[in-house]
Amino acid sequence: MYDRGGESMKSKVFIIVVISSLMTFLNVSAEEMKISGEVSVTAQHLNIEGEKAKFNEYRDIRDGFYGDFDFQYEREKYYIDFKGQDVGRKTQSYEFSGGKWGSFKYDFSYDQLPHNFTYGAKTFYSGVGGANLTYPTHPPSTDISTWNTFDYSLERRNYAGGFKFELLKPFYFQASLSKETRKGIYPLGAAGTTPGGIAIELPAPIDYNTDNLKLEVGYNKNPLSLSMSYHYSRFHNDNSNLNFRNPSTAITAATTDSFTLPPNNDYYKLGFQGAMKLPWNSKFNLDLSTSSAQSDATLFDSYVSSAGVSNITLSDNVFNGKVDTQSYNFVLTSNPFYFLDGKAFYKYYKKDNKSDRITTTDTTALPATFENNLFGYQKEKYGVELGFRLPASFYLSSGYTRGQIKRDREDIPENDDDIYNINLRWSGLDFMVAKVGYERLHRKAEFEYPSVTGPTDDKNIETYVRRYDAAGKDRDTYKVSLEFFPMEDLNFSLGYKHKDTNYKDTILGLQDDKRDEFSVDADYLIMKRVRLFGYFDYEYVKLHQFQRQFPNNLGLDDPALAPTTNAYNWTVTQTEKNYAYGLGAEVFILPKKLTLRVQHNSVKSDGFADYSYLLGTNSLPAGRTQENIDISAWDNYRLTNFLVKFVYDLNKSLTFAAGWAYEEYKYDDDQYNEYQYVPGTSGSSGAYLTGAYNDPSYRANVFFLSTTFKF
Amino acid sequence: MKKFIIVLSIFPIFLFLWGGLRPQEVGGSDGTVGVEVCKGCHEDRYNTYAISTHSKKGIPNSPANKEGCETCHGPGAAHVEKSGERGVGIFIFSKKIADAKSKSAKCLSCHGETKDLSFWDLSKHKVSDVSCDNCHTVHSGTRKNLKATQPDLCNICHRSIRAQQNKTSHHPIREGKLKCTDCHDHHGGFGPKMIKANAPNDLCYQCHAEKRGPYMWEHPPVEENCLSCHTSHGSNHAKLLVSRVPQLCQSCHDWSRHPGTIYTGFETFRGPSKSNRMFARACLNCHSAIHGSNGPSLRGKTHVR
Repeated sequence: MYDRGGESMKSKVFIIVVISSLMTFLNVSAEEMKISGEVSVTAQHLNIEGEKAKFNEYRDIRDGFYGDFDFQYEREKYYIDFKGQDVGRKTQSYEFSGGKWGSFKYDFSYDQLPHNFTYGAKTFYSGVGGANLTYPTHPPSTDISTWNTFDYSLERRNYAGGFKFELLKPFYFQASLSKETRKGIYPLGAAGTTPGGIAIELPAPIDYNTDNLKLEVGYNKNPLSLSMSYHYSRFHNDNSNLNFRNPSTAITAATTDSFTLPPNNDYYKLGFQGAMKLPWNSKFNLDLSTSSAQSDATLFDSYVSSAGVSNITLSDNVFNGKVDTQSYNFVLTSNPFYFLDGKAFYKYYKKDNKSDRITTTDTTALPATFENNLFGYQKEKYGVELGFRLPASFYLSSGYTRGQIKRDREDIPENDDDIYNINLRWSGLDFMVAKVGYERLHRKAEFEYPSVTGPTDDKNIETYVRRYDAAGKDRDTYKVSLEFFPMEDLNFSLGYKHKDTNYKDTILGLQDDKRDEFSVDADYLIMKRVRLFGYFDYEYVKLHQFQRQFPNNLGLDDPALAPTTNAYNWTVTQTEKNYAYGLGAEVFILPKKLTLRVQHNSVKSDGFADYSYLLGTNSLPAGRTQENIDISAWDNYRLTNFLVKFVYDLNKSLTFAAGWAYEEYKYDDDQYNEYQYVPGTSGSSGAYLTGAYNDPSYRANVFFLSTTFKF
Repeated sequence: MKKFIIVLSIFPIFLFLWGGLRPQEVGGSDGTVGVEVCKGCHEDRYNTYAISTHSKKGIPNSPANKEGCETCHGPGAAHVEKSGERGVGIFIFSKKIADAKSKSAKCLSCHGETKDLSFWDLSKHKVSDVSCDNCHTVHSGTRKNLKATQPDLCNICHRSIRAQQNKTSHHPIREGKLKCTDCHDHHGGFGPKMIKANAPNDLCYQCHAEKRGPYMWEHPPVEENCLSCHTSHGSNHAKLLVSRVPQLCQSCHDWSRHPGTIYTGFETFRGPSKSNRMFARACLNCHSAIHGSNGPSLRGKTHVR
């Protein structure tokens, strides 16, 4: 699909350079050198049924061999460390570091990371992996057996190097360079025609390169610490657009539709940090930074519509994006008496959008002329935190934070936050620590009523909508925990957290968010021969939102109006119940010789959506009842795994391990169950899908045998 | 930039306060007995020290170049004279004998003059009575003398985060390809939740540079805070979303026609009223440029191109 030969060559060159450097260094040094390290080789056999992409989402478990190694070399003040993990796999990483203690150090690294989404996806398009997708005859075939097969996945490769010079202490200088490449394919959803058209799932190419340069110079000697840093980052996308033949229009193969992809950008940040010790065991800390991100994109002056190609007029055919940020943090910490800790702070963050404002004129749009909004915001936060060491081993801390956000947004341009917290910790017994805490956030939101053209303007609905990211709210958080360690070999802990968020001003939108978390942990070593460990986590989430469905341009937006069959309110309450537990034992069958580890983990989630039509005396749409519309399987899944592993230490140098691991993942979701690639070819039921994220369930057995040699 | 320079120029005022301040005197050689004496009774502990970084003579100012064991534990003569009873006449890193502050002070006497620990006073760990020895042990040969590898080390205390990491949608933390310390400044910093950035988006863009834009058609909650829609440690929903689409989108978007329409089990693949606003990826089947778009006209504005 794309050439990875160059990347493979780069990694080989990297390894050769590092190994030859190491060998050269080893040859020239003869006296007082110390070499140590370890090498391990693992043989693995995989037996899997189901979706390999989810099983190996961030892994590369397969038949064959892989290795790990770590070589350390020291000679007087010099040292070298070369380690590699998962050698031969797509998750492999290497790090070569060295230096002279107290003078300088350097490091080079290479790291690979896959991210697999879905294997065996299908599309009628040809050209998958590139920026031009087409199909030969219109309409495209709906027989998926004739479609092309491909994988949704991406691979990150990161090459990095760094250097730190600290010979002139207390001054230091450090620099690092890194390059990350990302290649792969991801699913991109596009509307065929809009509004009311089909959906098209497009295999979009990922060909990204990101280069980073970081420089820092500083000074560290009591009572002063200073540093100045510079970070430059450049992102480059090989593809500015994804061109595709749109199956919802009757246009010819020669006319392509286009989806804009992430633009190239440049970013820099200049920062200054400092800390200075003051009298009364106090310290003044500051952090100042300024940054800028810039991009540019050539804009389309037409687009593909059901009628063919629609032309538009732009005030400028090139968009120059520029966003500057400024951040200032001042923090004074103080511990003037043993029993008192104090902190006062002021934080400021501003995002200033200096991008181009482009005016678009599109005669088919309503209104015909409009422009992009430039979003920016400013946040200020200040507060104080105090901690008191009280008699009887109590520690009481309390804080207050005042925050203000101003943003360039029509609906909620300003927030004022008051946050209070109080925490009590008790450690009066050698074998127990108990904590209890409470926090309250009170957010006021300044709401701007929409400017509307009249009572039938659909924008009237904005009068009732409060978007949860900025809406006024009261949030209460309670926390309790207990850590109990009555014996050196026994640890036990309990934790509970309740968070309740009430969006008090919200009429339409998310109104309530309630969460409960509970956890138990235990670890017990019996007679130095058996270690038992386990945990249990439970989480319950409940979200409630209130919405309105209404026809356009009839002035039926007010949720207080009596319901009719086509203008009414509705609600949905989403719940999630999550359970996770793990149990395990480590049996030292022959102490320091033979160890058996058995472990079992399980994670389960049950999601449910309870819908209600608030239709009053009106009937629900045909066939529907308040019960049969609910979604009972919403991101339901269960992940179960078992591990049995024997480790045999033949001697101090040689270790063998063998074992079996089992993992099963079952996914059940009403939005994916009975999946169809082409549920329809027109209208809002129409779609040409590719199978992205469909049925990720799998069951896998992994057998492994490894040996480790230490020297 | 101008404001930045003005604020930066204020800093020299504080330099006036520098005078008269003295670094704290730590330790001393009086009453020391030497490593061999310690080893005589504590050979097993000595052996674990001997394989640690602290025992390396090549490192300037390491304990090996100072008083050995007594660099951290203090002079041992009084301890020896009093029969060597546990914790008597000597400093030990035991929860029962020394509090977190005094244990950390021992470490900071050498490590405090480093960039990594310059802002320890800002750390939530410090005020929570977490001391260096909660995570590090000098009696080992592990990397950075850590007691365990991440994320297990952090999850010992941050149990609710462990529960998040176990969820189906997660960053590659449990696979060992991303560490807690890649995002968090465990030794203290200025960012919220001890993140290594001034704002969540600044942190996320370090790995997800393609989201940085700047775009012509922006989605304001995205630009203000990635955490409006995503959660960083784990989720039951794809792409680390805080709730399921379409409900996530409909929490904010209520309008005539499809933004305000109720989509239920009837609109799924097996329902009688299939809708591409509900089955599979729901809203994202069409509006996938939600992080920003440079697309033309309303197609860009509505994030479908």
